Amino acid sequence: MAWLNGTTIAMILFAIGTTALIARRDLVIKLLALGLVNSSGILFLISIRFRPQMAVPILPAPAGIPIADPLPQALVLSAIVINFAILALSLVFIMLLVERYHSTDCGRIEHAVEAEKATLESQNLAGSAPESEAQEATQ
Amino acid sequence: MILPLLPLSHIFLGLAAIAWKATARSALIAALLVDIGLLAVALSPASHWLTSAAAGGWTDAIGITLALDSLALDFLLLTVLLELAVVIYLWRQRLRPTFVILLQFLVGSVMALVLSQDLFNIYVILELLTLVSFLLVAYDRRTFQIWASLKYLVLASVGMSVFLLGVAMVYANVGSLGFAEIGRTIAGDPHARWIPLAAALLVTGVSVKAGILTFSLWLPDAHSAAPAAISAFLSGLVIKTGVVVLIRLADVFPLSSVFQILGAITGIGGVIYAMSSKDLKRMLAFHTLSQIGYLLVGMGVADHGAAKGVLAYALAHGSFKALLFLGAGAAHDVVGSTEIAHLIRERHRIPLRTRAALLLGTLAIVGLPPFDGYIAKAPLLAAAHGWGSQIVLVLLGIGTAASFAKLLPLFRGPYRRVGNDPAWKSYVILALPIVLFLPIERALFGVAFTRPVMNWFIAVESVAVVVVGWLVHRIHRQFKAHPSENLFRLEPGMFSILLGFVAIYLLLKLA
Repeated sequence: MAWLNGTTIAMILFAIGTTALIARRDLVIKLLALGLVNSSGILFLISIRFRPQMAVPILPAPAGIPIADPLPQALVLSAIVINFAILALSLVFIMLLVERYHSTDCGRIEHAVEAEKATLESQNLAGSAPESEAQEATQ
Repeated sequence: MILPLLPLSHIFLGLAAIAWKATARSALIAALLVDIGLLAVALSPASHWLTSAAAGGWTDAIGITLALDSLALDFLLLTVLLELAVVIYLWRQRLRPTFVILLQFLVGSVMALVLSQDLFNIYVILELLTLVSFLLVAYDRRTFQIWASLKYLVLASVGMSVFLLGVAMVYANVGSLGFAEIGRTIAGDPHARWIPLAAALLVTGVSVKAGILTFSLWLPDAHSAAPAAISAFLSGLVIKTGVVVLIRLADVFPLSSVFQILGAITGIGGVIYAMSSKDLKRMLAFHTLSQIGYLLVGMGVADHGAAKGVLAYALAHGSFKALLFLGAGAAHDVVGSTEIAHLIRERHRIPLRTRAALLLGTLAIVGLPPFDGYIAKAPLLAAAHGWGSQIVLVLLGIGTAASFAKLLPLFRGPYRRVGNDPAWKSYVILALPIVLFLPIERALFGVAFTRPVMNWFIAVESVAVVVVGWLVHRIHRQFKAHPSENLFRLEPGMFSILLGFVAIYLLLKLA
């Protein structure tokens, strides 16, 4: 099982996440999948310069043992915060959509949004000149 | 250590404005003054002390470096220009303070991005840009805006995860994240096995943000749904921060063939959709794609003149695209829609200055002399040797002219003065660089660079391209078939990111 290290697990998580993002229609599940994709990036960054039996990068450094690279761990902190912000914000927006349409189905929301936009436009156009004049004006 | 002040003044003044909401608008003006002051210092000859700063005094292998090179300077000028125009445009609208604060963060992060010389900093700032523009697109809380920006957030976040994988690959093999160190390592071993994979991951990640087909399928919806002033910012500036990152990546990775192919796909795809688009803002959004295609083709030409031409064109595009978006927004405020047929029908109600602004923007974007579209395009055309890039550039010019020919009836009479037009001051700010681009270009890039502008052959070619474009419009009008818009949904957008990554990887691997 030596191949099952952080890097390969990150790859598997990334694949699962993107598949779910494409294949599942439910927005909340899509959001979970997005979280999975983001975590796979974090896991990859953490594990790429790490080997087993490395020492913790805290001073004073133990002699004779290689020390894990501290920089990726510092970087990952910012990545985690960013991903948290993205998930939280998109959850708020999904809640706004759900309140409006009472559905988390991506296709249904998409259709409803498009229909609403079309009626909005036709409302704006109503009351102005008839269609034939518009044709004339375009020419 | 003056350089970090440029982005940080925006961030800090924005944070201060969160505490004292009433001061938000004055804080914006204060930040603008700081920018103009710092840029004036940066442009003065005795400013060598301003060019580079490393945080904490570390070397460029470990430290976080900021540098003010010609690329950064070009985009800083564009940022200040657009900021000035948008602030004046929004000044009378009495916006809620939160909007102004978000605008501050947007400007600050764009400035931080163009200055940074470090891959991870770029990752963080790109994410910050995603978050801020996500909030700004959906600021009016209409459902189509919410949906457009949610799509943007999901796709951009996946793209940034791919970018992070690329950053990790680079760090694992180079041991540093600064571009200087990465460049040295790659120059030492240009055929190392990790390079194609890392480059493909990084390019895919940035392309999602940079408005490149087929990665940025969120763009037409997000840019046409946003409030007009925000569209001007997103399309003129924020989208080009991705191009800045690509230029920086091209300094260290061998990417020119990838850029040529992506540029051709992006440009021609954008033009085809723009030609059949019936809505002004949506057409402008598609033209963001086509103009990014221009920049990419220029970046693909491995030539010093072409590299400068890309910078000049980015500056020019920012000015006229912002002018067009602001004009579209002002027209929308009067007639209630941006559908082109409706605008033409109601053209007597649109203020004359707005129509003049739209006309000027149109003339500039199709590349007619003597406006900045042409002046920036001419050196690019002169430097683009090789049939492939020449043909693509000419096709893009024809397509741009063909889609903007739809607007021509908008500029017919009657020319009566109707109402007052509060936005005219921002039109003037943006019109100045459009009309007076030649001296600006000379000052930034040298006199030798602008020589192709006076070349008769290129001038005649540009005019001929516009005429052919107009003819194409006459023919295209007869056809009723339109390309499907279903492509711009969430799942196809996701799928095409992965597909595009595989394509770029194979391209880099086989090259």
